[in-house]
Amino acid sequence: MASNSETIYIKAGRNTEVKKPDVTLGEVLEITCVNPSMEAKVRSLRLLKGINGRVAVSVLKVVSMIQEVYPNADVQSIGEPDFIVTYEEPGKGSRFMQSIKVVFVSVLSFFGAAFSIMAFNNDVDAPKLFDQIYTQIMGNKPDGFTILELTYSLGLAVGILIFFNHFGKKKLTVDPTPMEVEMRLYENDIQTTLIETYSRKERELHVDQTDSSCGHRK
Amino acid sequence: MWIRQILLAVIGSSAGAVAAGGLFAFIAELGVISDFADRTHTGDRIQWYETCVMLGGILGNLFWLYQIPLHGGVILLAAVGIFSGMFVGCWAMALAETLNLFPVFMRRFNLVNCLAGIILGIAAGKTLGCIWMLLQEAK
Repeated sequence: MASNSETIYIKAGRNTEVKKPDVTLGEVLEITCVNPSMEAKVRSLRLLKGINGRVAVSVLKVVSMIQEVYPNADVQSIGEPDFIVTYEEPGKGSRFMQSIKVVFVSVLSFFGAAFSIMAFNNDVDAPKLFDQIYTQIMGNKPDGFTILELTYSLGLAVGILIFFNHFGKKKLTVDPTPMEVEMRLYENDIQTTLIETYSRKERELHVDQTDSSCGHRK
Repeated sequence: MWIRQILLAVIGSSAGAVAAGGLFAFIAELGVISDFADRTHTGDRIQWYETCVMLGGILGNLFWLYQIPLHGGVILLAAVGIFSGMFVGCWAMALAETLNLFPVFMRRFNLVNCLAGIILGIAAGKTLGCIWMLLQEAK
């Protein structure tokens, strides 16, 4: 194997979801090498066996695995130093349950937002404020609902549309919407927390450990 | 007179737009909705959830401001109650979380393994406090 001294580049994502409990390197890493047979061999190396839930893996573990097969190869990791592999049982997320959850969150968001805006209006005593603004500008007391309430409602709708940057599927600009940004930030936080929790509890899969069959579950 | 009407219209629409921006930034940045989406593993529907929040905001405001009667009976009332309650509950906790309340208290009192107890305590306290307050008001 002395001739196999090419450079192997590996790139790990922060969190990879797998469909099978047995995981090979090719399933969780991006791998490239000028020698196709080396690349194929590295791809087929088994990283984890029978995982259940989440496992945090140090990239050094991957490097040492590759070096066991190709001692002369130069392994370059250009991705994350630690990454998470998540396995979820396929039966767990059935389509039916999924749609129930979507409906639940939709209704929750709808009523929650409706309640929030009403609570806000109530809190700042908006009607009194409308009344005062109307009286000061028009010089007489408002008679029922005025243009102020109407434009407030319109302005509110416009403000919401501009803030969220889309309506339905139609985006106003190419930027991601605030909740997409928030979602990514949240996922990042979760991943960072998981990796740090695992390494603090020393349950991360390190170089000196051979398998994940126990002790790495969560 | 029409110039005053225009002035009112400008004030009204600006007030609405800015109030909406502020309130919904508060909802989005505290990450309540992304939390729901993550919990239920439906992150790919985040845009749809946003649409629901937007509709809730727009329609809720109209419903409240124009006092539109909506005779849905006790079922709708219960639905509004339970969902608003859940939302506000999550929101209040998200606010506490953002202000780093838990890490500070846990470090001060050296309570690293009591997170579950703290959360349960807060949930129970908030529920009881809420019930007590509402009962007082009903009197």
